[in-house]
Amino acid sequence: MPAVLSIAPHLVPVGVSTAVATALVGLLMLTHIQFAAFQQGGAMLAALFDFLGMVRRDERQTRFARGMLKTMALAFTIGSALAIFAVMILFTGLWSHFWVKLLRILFWPLVVEAGAFVLEIIALYTLYVGWDRLGRVRPLRVGLELVLVIDLFVQMLMINFVASYMLTPRPAFDLPLILLNPTLLPLEVHRLIGNVAFAGALVALVAGWRMLRARTPAQRAYADWMGAIGAVTAISFTALQPLVGWEYAKEVQLHAYASWYDMMLGGLSVAFLFQMFLLGLILTAGIFFFWRRVRTSGFRSPTLALCAVLSLGAWLLGATPSSLAWTYEQVFAANANVPIWNGGLLIPFGQMIPWKLTALVAFTFVSITAVTVFLREVSRGHLRWGEARRSQAVALITMGVAVSLIMALMGFIRENARGPFLITNQMLINQQQNFVPPSSAGPAQAGAAAGANLVLGGP
Amino acid sequence: MARRMSRRRFMVLATNVAGAGITLLIAAPIVGEVLQPIFTRRAHPWVRVGDITQVPVGLPTAYVVQMPTTQAWKVPPVARIVYVVKLNVGSAVQVLPLSNVCTHMQCDVHWDQNLQQFLCPCHGGLYSITGVNVGGPPPRPLFRYRHKLVGETLYVRDQLTEA
Amino acid sequence: MSVEPRRSKLVARLTHPVARPLASVYRWVDERMGISDLVYKALYEAVPRRGAWTYTLGSVTLIIIALQIVTGMFLLWSYVPSTTEAWLSLNYLAHHNEFGAIVRGMHLWGAYVLLLVIGLHMVRTFVSGSYKKPRELNWITGVILFLLVLALGITGAMLPWDQAAFWTTVVTTHVLSYVPLLGHWLQEVWRGGNQVGPVTLTRTFAIHIWLLPALLVPLIGLHIYLLRRHGEHGSWVNYRNDPEESERERADRVLRAEPPYPAVPSDPAYSVPDDLDEFFPSQVGKDAIVSFVAVLIIFVMAVVVGSPLEAPANAASLTYVPTPEWFFLPLDQLLVQFPQAWMIPVGVFIIPGLASTLLIMVPFLDRSPDREPWKRPQLMVPALFTLLFLIFEALLGVNRLFNL
Ligand code: HEM
Ligand code: HEM
Ligand code: FES
Repeated sequence: MPAVLSIAPHLVPVGVSTAVATALVGLLMLTHIQFAAFQQGGAMLAALFDFLGMVRRDERQTRFARGMLKTMALAFTIGSALAIFAVMILFTGLWSHFWVKLLRILFWPLVVEAGAFVLEIIALYTLYVGWDRLGRVRPLRVGLELVLVIDLFVQMLMINFVASYMLTPRPAFDLPLILLNPTLLPLEVHRLIGNVAFAGALVALVAGWRMLRARTPAQRAYADWMGAIGAVTAISFTALQPLVGWEYAKEVQLHAYASWYDMMLGGLSVAFLFQMFLLGLILTAGIFFFWRRVRTSGFRSPTLALCAVLSLGAWLLGATPSSLAWTYEQVFAANANVPIWNGGLLIPFGQMIPWKLTALVAFTFVSITAVTVFLREVSRGHLRWGEARRSQAVALITMGVAVSLIMALMGFIRENARGPFLITNQMLINQQQNFVPPSSAGPAQAGAAAGANLVLGGP
Repeated sequence: MARRMSRRRFMVLATNVAGAGITLLIAAPIVGEVLQPIFTRRAHPWVRVGDITQVPVGLPTAYVVQMPTTQAWKVPPVARIVYVVKLNVGSAVQVLPLSNVCTHMQCDVHWDQNLQQFLCPCHGGLYSITGVNVGGPPPRPLFRYRHKLVGETLYVRDQLTEA
Repeated sequence: MSVEPRRSKLVARLTHPVARPLASVYRWVDERMGISDLVYKALYEAVPRRGAWTYTLGSVTLIIIALQIVTGMFLLWSYVPSTTEAWLSLNYLAHHNEFGAIVRGMHLWGAYVLLLVIGLHMVRTFVSGSYKKPRELNWITGVILFLLVLALGITGAMLPWDQAAFWTTVVTTHVLSYVPLLGHWLQEVWRGGNQVGPVTLTRTFAIHIWLLPALLVPLIGLHIYLLRRHGEHGSWVNYRNDPEESERERADRVLRAEPPYPAVPSDPAYSVPDDLDEFFPSQVGKDAIVSFVAVLIIFVMAVVVGSPLEAPANAASLTYVPTPEWFFLPLDQLLVQFPQAWMIPVGVFIIPGLASTLLIMVPFLDRSPDREPWKRPQLMVPALFTLLFLIFEALLGVNRLFNL
């Protein structure tokens, strides 16, 4: 047990129960994550489209970049306020023990994080205020957007150092090993891709909304085009997630077995099943949009229709609990006679291999195929922008909402999978409130009580 | 005309046949040279591992063994590892001489005290103390040498020996 | 574009700094061998003007392969292909022949930079759609060249017979044993027995310095012959595809282009780039500059980092962690992801085999006349996903080895 844990006890309790503190911080962080994720994905899309608008002299693309940046600036004010609130009040007040420990171990990443925050403010507001003036020197504006993209990348990397450290910490203090811990890479890639997909889904959501409300043909055409951009981004990036997520879970299994067990087979597996449901919903809605959108413009695409059917099948396959119990014996074996909150139906994920794995692989290939075929239709000039129907707008909105939900759900799963630890095997959640000087036996016992296998990654 | 044609055809035929002959004459010994290792017979002599009195029960112990290799010509023997595992079976003690060659891609596995398993560093293959593959990519259990005990001195033969 | 003044200018250029007697010697030889004709044929040619810097990558590849062959030849002045002496000979090089150590470093870094550059060359020809009719065979010979270079890289890595080389040899040759039915025999043929030993090294050595180069060099010749036959395609920026252009105007352009563009035009609109430049010196100059930068990087890396030599091969090591060469990391990761029994051949043969087949098939998967990458998403999108997949696999491999 590292010496950093022995922090003066008087820094800790505030007299708020652990449950309330957890709920407060959890809610705040889940909300904050939505804003932060949008920032990163949005910045990439904005930079890309401003660049494309510049080289291809396409007014629509420039307009898209501009709208994106303005929205980002607004979102940033809220998101950063939440973050500051979390750090200043909640972390230091409710979770001071944890916060001080993190600061001491991950001091430099957090310093860089703060610096990146400052740079983000400068870059984002310069772009917000000076959009038109910077427009006279387009490469400069695109360059500044690139700075913003890199800055946000660095910022997220720093936060991922912290998040991955909490899940799979190194027992000894060795900064490179702590930073490049086993789950850093999968988490980084998972989030990077997820954030772009999320931004795309929000674009699709807004576009769907605008399609429904558009009055002029010009408005309708722009919303339609924007919806296609959003859907393509969201689906093509979400298509990568099953593989990345699988590898992520693999690392968690190897290095934080208790959390993995909880997520896949334990109490959180229900949440995971819901996640599978949302994933299927996202992809099916997106592919449905592609298929119907092409059809609306008068082109039949059997491949897209097949993709839609396959995606629906994969969705059903993936989101079905493995233990569909009919007889009493089956019910008993699946623990389904006990309510979920008491540990019932604990293994809906038991049949990961081969069924849910098949569904995940199918998701990946079907989505990539659908995106490819859709883009092929677009590149042939088959789509006339502005023709999208109501049902297609609804599909986009559904997809957007589902992506937003899945982001929140994944944050929820990650934060709860570590229980009873705040930092796996090193710091218990309830050490925040009723400070017990940690002894080397403490966390290990708690872990054993939770049915954990502490061989790997134990102190 | 007919005669000239047949003469031409003969020359074409001659070219083909001679060409095939040249190729065959060159290729035959080459193929033989390349394939020769398949047909080599190997003897499997007994190799002395050492005195195993000190090996604790339940703790696989690595012995470095000088395996004779005369793959083609005489070269010095090559050091290999034999893991000697002692297990209690009922009241008797069973001796298992395990090869430490991973059955996946043949990296050297080692006994990991924390895991209480054999661990392969290449792709994370895991084997139980009796050499059964219990995790990761390996398709088969670790190879068990044929062995004999002369007093407390262990001898093994098979697989990793060539002569 | 008359030929004569140019040719005399060429002779003047080639002989200018040299004294007159040499010029007469040159003329004597030229009369008998026709050097000027050859040089003229080689240097004077039309190439597309726009995007020329990206067309340097093929030449850089060529120069680095020449570098590999030359440094390889001179490594043979020291290297002994024997299990007992290979390591000693390179260790000698490292400690008693500093320049030899640099030669060795250049061979290693040459291989690394070569793999990067050949990858970029591939990406470039892919994005610009250079594999389309009539250049399908340019692409197919290219893919085979790429596989040969990969094979040279992996067999080369087995030669130093240090720990890294030994375990690379063990794993690579053992992969063969998973070939259905024949596997065991194939492995014995390469290893020269059922164990990695002295014969394994001599065989790998022979493959590295003779067998593979003997395939590589003629194939490069074919690759470049084909290039010359069809002319450099360049990329879409060079093709106006102007529907207004009349037959006459087009014919005019075709004629203006010196050889070889008129050969087998796939689509008249695409047969000749709009804007042409001289191969020599415009393109050659750019080729030379980029090649110089590449060789400089190789040289500097060879001097500063050099080529490592680990402890001598030891089959009885309990602490050594074998790591694959970086360019094989994605494949090594597949070994982890496809565990046990029948899955192993799927991971090592079926998936890479399928990928190579699809790569070779590229010209037949996309036969549309479109050159612009955004007009052929049916290839660009899957290719992008594949590239991302490979990068992710490599990153996973690094992560796994780092956190072992
Ligand atoms: C030993 C390796 C190789 C050498 C020495 C080589 C050399 C060259 C050279 C000098 C050129 C003309 C200049 C240029 O366009 O860059 C060229 C063109 C080309 N190469 Fe390669 N190349 C190699 C490997 C490859 C590979 C791996 C591929 C693809 C799989 C490939 C496909 C092509 C194609 C399609 C062209 C025609 C480009 C055009 O006309 O626009 N080559 N190569
Ligand atoms: C495209 C061509 C080639 C590539 C990619 C290549 C790659 C390599 C690599 C990666 C090594 C290991 C270097 C090290 O670990 O230090 C190596 C070693 C070696 N190569 Fe090559 N090689 C090529 C061509 C050749 C040729 C044509 C020859 C001989 C004429 C040759 C002779 C050698 C020798 C003797 C060694 C062992 C010495 C050493 O390990 O440094 N190579 N090669
Ligand atoms: S070589 Fe042992 S797991 Fe692959």
